[in-house]
Amino acid sequence: MTITGEIRGRRPTGPRFRITSLEVLCGILVLALIFQSSLVRLLDVRELRTGSTVFVAICVQALPFLVVGVLISGAIAAFVPPSLLRRLLPSSSALAVPVAGVAGVALPGCECASVPVARRLMQQGVAPAVALTFLLAAPAVNPIVLVATAVAFNDTPLMVVARFVGSLLTAVVMGWLWARFGKLEWIAARALERLPSHEGTSRWAVFLESARHDLVDAGGFLVLGGLFAAAFKVLVPVSWMNTLSGQVVLGVLVMGLLAVVLALCSEADAFVAVSFSSLPLLPRLVFLVVGPAVDVKLIAMQAGAFGRSFALRFAPLTFVVAVLCAVVTGVVLL
Amino acid sequence: MRRETQNILLILLGGALLKISFSGLYLRYVQKGFLPLLVIAGVVMVGLAGFSIYRDVCGARVPSHSHSSRSVWLMLLPVLAVFLISPPALGVDVVNTSSDTNRTTSRGGFSALPSDQVVPLSLTEFVTRTAWDDSGTLDGRTVRLTGFLVRQGDHTYVARLAISCCAADARPLKVHLTGLQAGFGDGQWVEVTGKAVPKSATKENSYIPTFTVENAVPVAVPAEQYES
Repeated sequence: MTITGEIRGRRPTGPRFRITSLEVLCGILVLALIFQSSLVRLLDVRELRTGSTVFVAICVQALPFLVVGVLISGAIAAFVPPSLLRRLLPSSSALAVPVAGVAGVALPGCECASVPVARRLMQQGVAPAVALTFLLAAPAVNPIVLVATAVAFNDTPLMVVARFVGSLLTAVVMGWLWARFGKLEWIAARALERLPSHEGTSRWAVFLESARHDLVDAGGFLVLGGLFAAAFKVLVPVSWMNTLSGQVVLGVLVMGLLAVVLALCSEADAFVAVSFSSLPLLPRLVFLVVGPAVDVKLIAMQAGAFGRSFALRFAPLTFVVAVLCAVVTGVVLL
Repeated sequence: MRRETQNILLILLGGALLKISFSGLYLRYVQKGFLPLLVIAGVVMVGLAGFSIYRDVCGARVPSHSHSSRSVWLMLLPVLAVFLISPPALGVDVVNTSSDTNRTTSRGGFSALPSDQVVPLSLTEFVTRTAWDDSGTLDGRTVRLTGFLVRQGDHTYVARLAISCCAADARPLKVHLTGLQAGFGDGQWVEVTGKAVPKSATKENSYIPTFTVENAVPVAVPAEQYES
């Protein structure tokens, strides 16, 4: 659905009372208020208590970054004409992919911010391979994440270099793979719908409307991802990680999967990685490279932004590529 | 979903962020540095929704049924959680269920403690020093630790959670207490004064140091329950 469709479309309004989402929302709120105390009692179980705190924490922590993302996305829609983007990026995808990867350094946020921005870039005519590279690179190689990694791994500074190289490599390889094998029809049509030229509306109105539209679009999926991550956090016992200390191959796989289900913010995952001190550095690097590229929160948001058939292909492939890139980087550098 | 409903959801969600920011409840969920980000995000959300409502009202446009996506409803969940349930900060439950206790970063170059008679230390600092400091800066020194009590079997610990971003990355820290007088319940926040038992934190006991309690007083739950 385009934004103009929202603004211009007219719904026939009859005098008859109809139940719309607005009435449903009011109903839910009233019911929740009435049954508040029984709700609180229902949730007063140990697992649910921990889970609800973690769920709220993930949402609260991610929302500011999503807001930054939708504001940037709105600004691109309103103020950056597609012709400018075309001039800025090399015309061949093969060259534009690494440029987009390095450009990720400029978006200091976690993964939630980069999803709306990447989608907006696609809508503005940037090749999907290039936008997807940016999507993968931005949350992992920006300065805030690298500084956080350096602080956490203060006795192994090479970890910062390895993380930067591993993540950039993942993003660029994925971009090239998409440029070579990717099919446009995997991406939901609504994600690629070009914004109509904005005659009549001021640029500021376009900026604010686009930002609002993206926020509404992505917010629900962010919450869905938060729900999954909170459930995994409560259900997956991290205690048996200690038994893996000697087995590097198993450690690599388990840490990769753990990064997917825990869905930590890329600014915090280094502190968690450093705490798995019984594991060698390589599995912990895998954790740091996989986390910002593919996790449950991100898969939910990608499914929302680009469609389910995209997410089903993109997420598993990204996981494999990220694990391989991290292992190669780790073997060379660590 | 109707445009008006989306806007109301945005205002509720932005309002929830502002509520936890101004009431200080955000400290249960994220690190304290997040405050300005949360306020800005809340204001932007309310502002975007407000702008859209203003346009709808002034432009006299009949809002259309726009979105087929049902995902937007999920945004109600954090709103309900914050306004109705207001989940508590993580605590005893997490310490009891996780085994990755006291995973501090090894470091060297510990500076001497201040020469005061009683030195207040964070659990992070205390645990790090007992595990990695060989120069004996803690030997014979009286320190004061603040945390909540955790009872596991016959043992009593004073514990705290450390977060670096949000509660999802909480790492438990605990110190084994000996000589604590009776009468303290599980989860009670206390200030314990005493001395570290030298060389009590070893790799075998997951670097959980032992602390000889000289005095313990119950304290109120602090606003900032996590260390960062």
